[in-house]
Amino acid sequence: MNIDIIDYDSCSAAGVNLTELRASLQHHRSGLRKNDLPGSTLDTWIGRVAQIDAVTDLKLWQSRNNALAALGLEQGTLKQTLAGLVKQYGTARIGIVMGSSTSSIDRTETAYTDLDENGALKPAFQQRLVHNPHAPSLFVAHYTGIEGPSLTINTACSSSAKVFATGARWLEFGIVDAVLVGGVDTLCLSVLHGFNSLQLLSTNPCKPFDQHRDGINLGEASGFAILQRGGENANGVGIKLAGYGESSDAYHMSHPHPEGLGARLSMTQALERAGLEANAIDYVNLHGTSSRANDLIEGRLISDLFPKTTQCSSTKGWMGHTLGAAGITEAIITMDTLRTQQIPGSKNLETLDEALDFSIQAAHLQKSCQHVMTNSFGFGGNNCTLLFSKAQ
Amino acid sequence: MQARELTCKVASLGAWGSYFDSWATLQQLMQGGALPDAKNKGPKPEVIPPNERRRAPLPVRLAVESSWQATQSAGVTPDALTCVFVSGLGDTDLTDYMCKVLASEHKELSPTKFHNSVHNAPAGYWTISTKTMRAANSVAGFEQSVSLTLLEAMIQCESESVPLLVTFYDAPVADVLSPLLANQEPFAFSLVIYPGSADIKGIALSATVSNSESVSWPASPSENSYLSALYKDNPSAKILSLAALLSDDTVSGDKVAMPLSKGASITFSRL
Repeated sequence: MNIDIIDYDSCSAAGVNLTELRASLQHHRSGLRKNDLPGSTLDTWIGRVAQIDAVTDLKLWQSRNNALAALGLEQGTLKQTLAGLVKQYGTARIGIVMGSSTSSIDRTETAYTDLDENGALKPAFQQRLVHNPHAPSLFVAHYTGIEGPSLTINTACSSSAKVFATGARWLEFGIVDAVLVGGVDTLCLSVLHGFNSLQLLSTNPCKPFDQHRDGINLGEASGFAILQRGGENANGVGIKLAGYGESSDAYHMSHPHPEGLGARLSMTQALERAGLEANAIDYVNLHGTSSRANDLIEGRLISDLFPKTTQCSSTKGWMGHTLGAAGITEAIITMDTLRTQQIPGSKNLETLDEALDFSIQAAHLQKSCQHVMTNSFGFGGNNCTLLFSKAQ
Repeated sequence: MQARELTCKVASLGAWGSYFDSWATLQQLMQGGALPDAKNKGPKPEVIPPNERRRAPLPVRLAVESSWQATQSAGVTPDALTCVFVSGLGDTDLTDYMCKVLASEHKELSPTKFHNSVHNAPAGYWTISTKTMRAANSVAGFEQSVSLTLLEAMIQCESESVPLLVTFYDAPVADVLSPLLANQEPFAFSLVIYPGSADIKGIALSATVSNSESVSWPASPSENSYLSALYKDNPSAKILSLAALLSDDTVSGDKVAMPLSKGASITFSRL
């Protein structure tokens, strides 16, 4: 496959944009804090984006999720890059593929706390384009003026990894000349209390792959990347989407396959599509949620598939598990190593799980990487792996 | 670059609604058959083990029922099929449940209901029940769910050279949200498609994406008032416009155009 990354930016608790994210990574500065989301008293840590609260002018599009998407689209050079593409190709030849798990359920939750005397939605909440699972793409199309096809992928925590696969296929078939892929998910009571009901939340900052890890921290994020067919735009960032893998566990709705068979398939597919052997991979950004089960299964798979020369880390200690936005957030961290030549360490790792043996460390590593990978696994046993390479 | 023409072969179909429980009975209604006296109960897709089925929400049972029907005559085992599931509205009963609990004092959610609330619950139940380890997608396109998902499915089928199951489903909307989202009828429809070049029997279709003209959804393909209301209010039932193109009385060259977005449309032709 031959797909160029033209631009990208990320917005999370670890930095409102890519520049801040790089600085947070560099200085080991986590965005996690004790849960202070209004309305929730759960004892856990969260990755909250404080700047969302200032985005209040979206009118009938208002939701926390849309506000975070808008905030993300204002970062870096995304708007300028899109304006240039619109000028060259027109709005109808640009597509949108967004990933999300919450869409705008935050807004539905708020609406239900403020129903009128008949138990009906008050006028401010009568937002049909917000209370539906396609809301993120509908909003991004509205906000950017893009008029090409726009699709939302909702496969839980693999959502905004899979957007790269769909975006790449659209480009290869000429459906569009450029595609804005992204992901957005926001903290809300559904996810906090939902993960709490599954007893998956940690009362401490998460410690992916650590012997003493005891659960996950939730976060919120938006992130975007712009893709085009290889060679059609000389102003890209010098990174290619080289492969992707998509698979299913066929095991359980909320528990990973005990041997990680689905995850293994998605990783091997990504390698095959890129025409690479495992030993060519310099870095893998792991799904690494800090749950007992995920990290054990994923870590075992890594040592089975990759040599010790492949360095790995989970970066969820910086912004938490951002669910449907984790795919794009970690895709951006992963591809950015091709430019910064720095592999981020696995934050909060002190003692690697005794059952695991692969190359992972808390410290950063300076390395000029050529090929890098990232894993995203979601409820329903939905897996996606992305592989990025430095352009030759 | 111009959009490439997409082709596929439709190998088999499945359908379920209040007054039909197969592609054959849906076709009879579409061709002027009378409505049965009583609504169907269920659906109860037999592929989901009974214990799991009791806990499975209606959108899951709808999607799995029509998927199971379609795969029975597809000439492959279900686990050989990549799959794409779409719902325009999602599971509003579970949204309603969660939002009510979260607006209350105790905020204690059922863990099963929480994991069933993900939009990809039907894809999850389907892949688990059929032991499918292939890619499973779960997408949303609101009122354009059908056209966008057909595009996505045909591209994936052709680019990966795989047979593919695509399932459209939407369930009645919970009370609080129903003033915004009108649908009150359950509906599911499934297609098993092969790449156009596959050596199988099937209805050959082409699809072309265009940016040249603005297209609206075609009028209801049936005069039956139940089907017309379904077509209008249930985002997944927009597939009836393609179903009409797949029915026994259609001839080569017949076409149907659908909107994809403000600036793009897709035209399906029977080859």
